Amino acid sequence: MKNYKMAWRNLWRNKRRTVITASSVFFAVFFALVMRSLQLGTYDSMYKNIIESYSGYIQVQDEDFWENKIVDNVFKNSEELREKITADRNVEDVIPRFESFALASSGSRSKGVMVMGIDPEKEKLLSDVEDKLVKYRLTDEAISAIKSEEIPAYLEKNMDLFHGNSYSSDGRLQIELGIKENDEEYLMPLFEKYASVKNGYFSMGDNAALVGDRLARYLGLERGDTIILVGQAYHGHTAAGKYVIKGIVKIPNPDIENKIVYLPVDVCQTLYYADGMLTSMVVHLMDDDDDAINNTLKRLDSNIESPYRILGWKEMNETLVQQLDADNKSGIIMIGILYLVIAFGVFGTVLMMTAERRREFGVLIAIGMQKTKMAGVMVYEMLYIGLLGILAGVAIALPSIIYGYHHPIHFPSKFAKIWEEYGFEPVMAFQWIDKYFLSQSLVVAIIVLVAVIYPVVKIRNLKEVNAIKA
Amino acid sequence: MKVLELFNVHKVYNTTHVEVHAVNDVCLEFEEGEFAAIVGPSGSGKTTLLNMIGGLDMPTEGRILVNSTDLSTLKSSAIIDFRMRNIGFVFQSYNLIPVLTAKENIEFIMNLQKWPRKKRDKRTMELLKAVGLEDRVDSRPAQLSGGQQQRVAVARALASKPRFVLADEPTANLDTKSTENLLDIMEKLNREENITFIFSTHDARVVKKARRVITLEDGKVVSDEIRE
Ligand SMILES: Nc1ncnc2c1ncn2[C@@H]1O[C@H](COP(=O)(O)OP(=O)(O)O)[C@@H](O)[C@H]1O
Repeated sequence: MKNYKMAWRNLWRNKRRTVITASSVFFAVFFALVMRSLQLGTYDSMYKNIIESYSGYIQVQDEDFWENKIVDNVFKNSEELREKITADRNVEDVIPRFESFALASSGSRSKGVMVMGIDPEKEKLLSDVEDKLVKYRLTDEAISAIKSEEIPAYLEKNMDLFHGNSYSSDGRLQIELGIKENDEEYLMPLFEKYASVKNGYFSMGDNAALVGDRLARYLGLERGDTIILVGQAYHGHTAAGKYVIKGIVKIPNPDIENKIVYLPVDVCQTLYYADGMLTSMVVHLMDDDDDAINNTLKRLDSNIESPYRILGWKEMNETLVQQLDADNKSGIIMIGILYLVIAFGVFGTVLMMTAERRREFGVLIAIGMQKTKMAGVMVYEMLYIGLLGILAGVAIALPSIIYGYHHPIHFPSKFAKIWEEYGFEPVMAFQWIDKYFLSQSLVVAIIVLVAVIYPVVKIRNLKEVNAIKA
Repeated sequence: MKVLELFNVHKVYNTTHVEVHAVNDVCLEFEEGEFAAIVGPSGSGKTTLLNMIGGLDMPTEGRILVNSTDLSTLKSSAIIDFRMRNIGFVFQSYNLIPVLTAKENIEFIMNLQKWPRKKRDKRTMELLKAVGLEDRVDSRPAQLSGGQQQRVAVARALASKPRFVLADEPTANLDTKSTENLLDIMEKLNREENITFIFSTHDARVVKKARRVITLEDGKVVSDEIRE
């Protein structure tokens, strides 16, 4: 009888124990994979939000601008620089930006804001501000008008919970208010009728602004109102301007939504007495894979010299990166604890398996079975248990994660509210199958293999006379 | 032809309080084909002696030659190998591998010795017939009675035609009928295959069947009679 065959039979000597041990391995692998996927996926989506609504993957700036964001640290929007950047094989286009600070006021209230001069057409490549314009707003009037129609009870409750909120897409509104798929067809026209907001976009040269929803609410501004911006301009001038609000925008990053004012880039340059100047060029990439980004970053860095500086998204979003890194570490510790528990379980099984077979080992050695062969059988047994658990874990985690990837978890309305107040998007996304699949499975495999050291050593040191007596 | 020689064999156990002289200056010789019983009261050193003969334990003094080989000169893995080729074992109980069938248990050593399949099958069936279990080929140990299990153990011990078989109180857990049956089978195989049997016992009915009776007392051989 071959080792692997004997091991397989041994496995079923104590069916229940084998099943329990394999199950614990299964749960460890399953939870580790799903937890990792969720965690990494959520980070990805947070990064994606901030990259797509603000920083982009790579920016070219004046070398002093990042440390000292004053209007004096700008550079000329030259065709030569543009060409140098777009010459790179992974660069599709360059998006010009003029970013600065100002004090915004609206009659009674004022607030420090971030003024972002954008090219209304080019910006569509990245943050697409037009798409972020508020489409619906749950004003008190809108809510009572919708309530006067025949609507399900859950919607009444959820509208009260989210009163005052605004939405830039049908999807967001449906998710946040928990609108059931069957109800969509008849409820959406109600929102269209009572809650829809008319917003407009702007073009180059328009003396107009788009304002973040939270900021607009703070300042008590609406579409058609005027916003006044005052700040420090190029070479000591004073920047001051008056703009008509053409639209209110929703930004998936609440922090930015709280302080953003968009202007057409040329209008912004005029405001800051900096015609033809930019604070940054956002580099739009063809391939935004991690490796591709890093390589592009390196190439640009070596091709473009002083007085320019090339910044990657990690550098530009350092706080978020650090925050999520810390969170990631705590996640890894959690999984470590999970593994520790599983490791003790597996070890317990190995311990029992070895102890209860001591006499049998003695007899087998007495009749002439080599210890190495016996240890080999043990290794096979543990390998089967481990493999069974790991394969089952992967097999169940795989479809779960694929499903989750296509259907991100949106927090139930009540939690979403709290989550949003803390400045997070109330969504948990799954990361697609990636390296973590291999590494997590490997860790569990190693745990099982380490556990098998015990019986191997035990068998090696076994004194057959004593074992037979036992 | 001598299969086994013991020269002034001693075994002393050093426990924390006292020294136990479990085997005390034993000199013995066994010829091919013997059917010998080692008898003596409990604690007289039977098990210790058999374990040393089988290379499971080493004497503290004296020499044991199995087939002219001194096992104390071999490495532990070589001793295991030596046992596999030359010595068959039957223990009091729980001899068999629970996950293997009767046939697989008997085949086990032949497998370790890498016998070709045909030769293995022939020998296994021959032995199963000899121990009267040809109809229990595929039974697992748990499905066999204690007597049947011991018969399978005897068949396994003989499977690869060792120089001799050591059996430490093989009938201790059997009823009268099974005891007689097992002894008859052992004796038959001893005659047919000319394999030496050395077994320990303190059961008078078993002693009756032996052709040589060695009596131990406090680790010493007090009598050694050959009957025919
Ligand atoms: N491992 C051991 N350590 C100490 N004393 C032992 C050990 N094994 C056996 N003995 C002692 O050696 C003597 C002989 O035991 P044993 O060979 O088992 O006798 P028997 O098989 O005739 O009953 C007994 O006094 C027993 O207590």
